[in-house]
Amino acid sequence: MKNLRLKSARAALDMSQQQLADAVGVSRQTINAIEKGDYNPTIKLCLAICKALGKTLDELFWEET
Amino acid sequence: MNLSLGYNFGILAAVLVGALVGLGIIALLFRLKIMDLTFDERQERARGQAYKYGFWTLMACLLLYGFSDMVLGRWCDVIAGVMLCAGVALVMFASVCIVKDAYLSLKEKPRTIMILLTVVGSLNLAIGIMNWKNGRVVRDGILTFGAANGICGLMVLVILVVYVVNHLLAKREDAE
Repeated sequence: MKNLRLKSARAALDMSQQQLADAVGVSRQTINAIEKGDYNPTIKLCLAICKALGKTLDELFWEET
Repeated sequence: MNLSLGYNFGILAAVLVGALVGLGIIALLFRLKIMDLTFDERQERARGQAYKYGFWTLMACLLLYGFSDMVLGRWCDVIAGVMLCAGVALVMFASVCIVKDAYLSLKEKPRTIMILLTVVGSLNLAIGIMNWKNGRVVRDGILTFGAANGICGLMVLVILVVYVVNHLLAKREDAE
């Protein structure tokens, strides 16, 4: 499932995938894969992304049922 | 073909020296930061899967090689056969890594790696062609160790082609 919340949070900060990737120490393709729902990041990477975007885990990664 | 012990030791020494020079060049590339092994968690996982594919490809190739030797008789030197199997397995590993965007580390630059692959592939292929012309690749109908450079060159060029195609496809996808 696509992570549109991550994509919109990144866009809201006017950050490119590459900038976010550099901020959290992963490749641009990894950010792309997370946004497309092709890769489930570890909690460590989720936290790093949340910190970089100033969001909570719930806001970015919690799936409403 | 029975070769003297001295000749065999000479070949062994040449292979060892070649391996040492190769290791030295690789160490230099790491020192110059042209090559690097820093991967993120997705890449590590993808490379793990690629290793698995590479491993099973190697197993299949070795079995196939052994079986072909049994059925068809000796068609290549053992070392050339092993090189062929390892080459196919490495191409499989590299191709899976490339397709899963896990071939380059975080610090490696695509252009540099493409140039490196082109140089290594072309050099090996050129030596392979020279060996072929000098009749060192096939002797008495048997593929010999002289084919090693050709195999390496072909392998590297296949990896380069997979890499370039994937790179162009990814660029087009990004543009869309």
